[in-house]
Amino acid sequence: MAITRDPKFSNLPEVQPDGSVQSPATVGNTLWSTDDPRAYGGLPLEAHPNLELARYDATGDGRVDDARWGGALSAIPTKADVVLDLIRANSLWPLLSGLACCAIEMMSTATPKNDIDRWGMFPFRASPRQADVLIVAGTLTTKMAEPLIRLWEQMPEPKWVVAMGDCTCSGGRYKRSYSVVQGIDRVMPVDVYIPGCPPRPEGLIYGMMKLQQLVKDRRGHWPERAIGPTVPKGI
Amino acid sequence: MDRRLAALLQEKFGERLLAPVRQRYDESEIRVALKDATDTLRTLHDDPAFRFEMLIDLCGVDTGEEMQVVYHLSSSTSGDWLRVIVPGLDRTAPRIASATFMWPGAEWMEREAYDMFGITFEGNRDLRRIYMPDDYRSYPLRKDFYLADDASRSPAAGVRNMERAGTPADATAATVLRKSPGV
Amino acid sequence: MTQQMRPSLDDPRVAIPADSTWYEPAPIPQTERQAEFLTLREGEMFVNMGPQHPSTHGVLRVIIKVNGEKVVDLDPVLGYLHRGVEKLCENADYHQAICYTDPLEYVSSLFCEAAPVAAFEKLMDVDVPRRAQYIRVLTMELNRIASHTLFQGWMALDLGGITPILWAFIERDEIVDMLAALTGQKLLYNYYRIGGVNGDLNHEFMSRLGTWMSRAAAQIDSNLALINENEIFVRRTRGLGVLDAKTALKMGVTGPNLRASGVPFDLRRDRPYLVYPELEFDVPTRDEGDSLARYLVRMDEIKQSIRIIDQVLHEMPDGPVMAKLPRLLRPRPGRAFGAVEGPRGVYGTYAISDGTDQPFRMRIHDPSFVHLQLVGPLTKGNLIADTMAVMASLDPVMGGVDK
Repeated sequence: MAITRDPKFSNLPEVQPDGSVQSPATVGNTLWSTDDPRAYGGLPLEAHPNLELARYDATGDGRVDDARWGGALSAIPTKADVVLDLIRANSLWPLLSGLACCAIEMMSTATPKNDIDRWGMFPFRASPRQADVLIVAGTLTTKMAEPLIRLWEQMPEPKWVVAMGDCTCSGGRYKRSYSVVQGIDRVMPVDVYIPGCPPRPEGLIYGMMKLQQLVKDRRGHWPERAIGPTVPKGI
Repeated sequence: MDRRLAALLQEKFGERLLAPVRQRYDESEIRVALKDATDTLRTLHDDPAFRFEMLIDLCGVDTGEEMQVVYHLSSSTSGDWLRVIVPGLDRTAPRIASATFMWPGAEWMEREAYDMFGITFEGNRDLRRIYMPDDYRSYPLRKDFYLADDASRSPAAGVRNMERAGTPADATAATVLRKSPGV
Repeated sequence: MTQQMRPSLDDPRVAIPADSTWYEPAPIPQTERQAEFLTLREGEMFVNMGPQHPSTHGVLRVIIKVNGEKVVDLDPVLGYLHRGVEKLCENADYHQAICYTDPLEYVSSLFCEAAPVAAFEKLMDVDVPRRAQYIRVLTMELNRIASHTLFQGWMALDLGGITPILWAFIERDEIVDMLAALTGQKLLYNYYRIGGVNGDLNHEFMSRLGTWMSRAAAQIDSNLALINENEIFVRRTRGLGVLDAKTALKMGVTGPNLRASGVPFDLRRDRPYLVYPELEFDVPTRDEGDSLARYLVRMDEIKQSIRIIDQVLHEMPDGPVMAKLPRLLRPRPGRAFGAVEGPRGVYGTYAISDGTDQPFRMRIHDPSFVHLQLVGPLTKGNLIADTMAVMASLDPVMGGVDK
């Protein structure tokens, strides 16, 4: 059966018979457009209704750094930092955000055989308001991206994000798909990447221990958040 | 070859079949025209000789020249399985009557065929997108919807994956040619 | 258009739009059914069980129209896990396509591989060696037990019990570690190939299997005693979501949900594949069609699966586990439908080949997709909490629903 090339798709590259290297096939978005006026930079950034919270965030009024004494006492170097970081690290409560297969391995980590309660992470909170770490376990699709970002924004600080599984690290086995976000670091800052399809519970535990180290060292992306792949140049 | 079923189908639908009853491996297959589709399905469902009361699957197929809707029917009393192919839907505006009158469970399967191909099922009370967001405008499983780096049909026909555009600009022979096995 | 702003209740210095929350505005109905759903009568309102919720079935959004606490209507919104598997399979080899189908019903991953493998083997006229067939049956039944055990835990979790899910995961971990010794993976096994299986049984697997088999039945019975005799569980599920046989057949229901409504349809009996014709097992059926019946049918199936595994172990022949096939598989043009009886129902793959090394169309039929249509009709008139009970008893897995 003949599949003739539709001339309106002429921006797709031709196949090179000798297998030589081509420039990547980038398909411009001529196929469809969205009705949402806010999407794809439709509205100017200042007019975006969701940015009220970001503007408030930028003023720094809501940021309460409870690790420091206030006012004149901030000159005292405190060991409260250490204690607070220890407290935070040893009771990181994850948000139940299992999307796909990695969620089963995440549940398996919570169950007695690989018991993550040893590190205090058993209470998987259903509400983002009570959670510390967002373990994104499973493929993130474009339809789910908005709810997930909303969940992440609803989490109070300090918060961390763990990308569990290949699909969240880079798109994984759905690399060429039309509806999968190629890695959640395109939409939110990630602190720990745990590769695997699915990663074994031991792998998830190792990733969470690395996260604990980040929390204690105050590394990671909070509070200086960056969005986008954070692999340094030259890698 | 399930001769009993083939003979029965030939007898009931003789003039409506577009092709002789085929036997594909362990399943019989018939093709009916678009205008006869509903009557055929109703007969297959109601007639005591057939009693295909289970609709196993309903899907769309885009052959590149036309669209087809394929029904897989099964009987829970006899062990018969049947595939009904309805070819000849127009690729630009595919329309077919809905099967939800007989099988209300076909509603979502038709929604999926609509979402993926754009096939309109007349009579489906809930024909909207099911997988893609509601404002999506393409129909992903059509043959003219290309994935971003699949201009060719075979994965190894010379088109590199989007993420591997080629050797990096600062590559030297020393870095590209591997002499030792990796770690 | 100026938008009315009001101070946020969390902090008065923050202004947010006055007319709505962050969520999308009232949707404009596109279809008849949606218009009927979106019309609110006196005393009704919408409750959104969003894509993230404590039920562990996955990302499913359910918009419930309630009158007080009673559910009037229900609209599931899918697609939050749609990964485009069918399209990806069209641009991949036959071997690669099997790999893509693994994560669809991720708890019963071997069935998701078995269906396309069956379809492709039909297309290519491949004879699978006897030992490979027995190994396939063995691993599929083990996976069925793992899936049903997980269902047991999830159902209890959705009804509020925390202990059974922990016990269920202990059970599941034993089986899954055994399969990991065999296949190398705990969840997405990638074990079946066109023409056989990836590797023969090894000592580790057999020793774990022996240990497990020696106490499997007793352990499962003790787990069952925890839940079956729990008054809360029984009173919440008995008589809930009754599905009669006629409706079930019309809705395309298959698997344990259909068998709990009185129709003894099982592909292993009615359209046998692999070595099932030679094995002796019962097909548990119940007549009531309520949630409790669906739960009990699955528990009976676990016992039958143990029986099948026992027979398979006794009758396992020697021989190769993989047929001799060329590397590049190019079947003749044709169509084939391969179906297996998964733990949720008939899992089928309809494959069309056009003579090249890639399938032209690979349609995956998932039973959970069809069963999710039932949640609305079965929950009408019950309470919101019963939505979860009904959904849990239908046992959907969103990976398969959304493909």
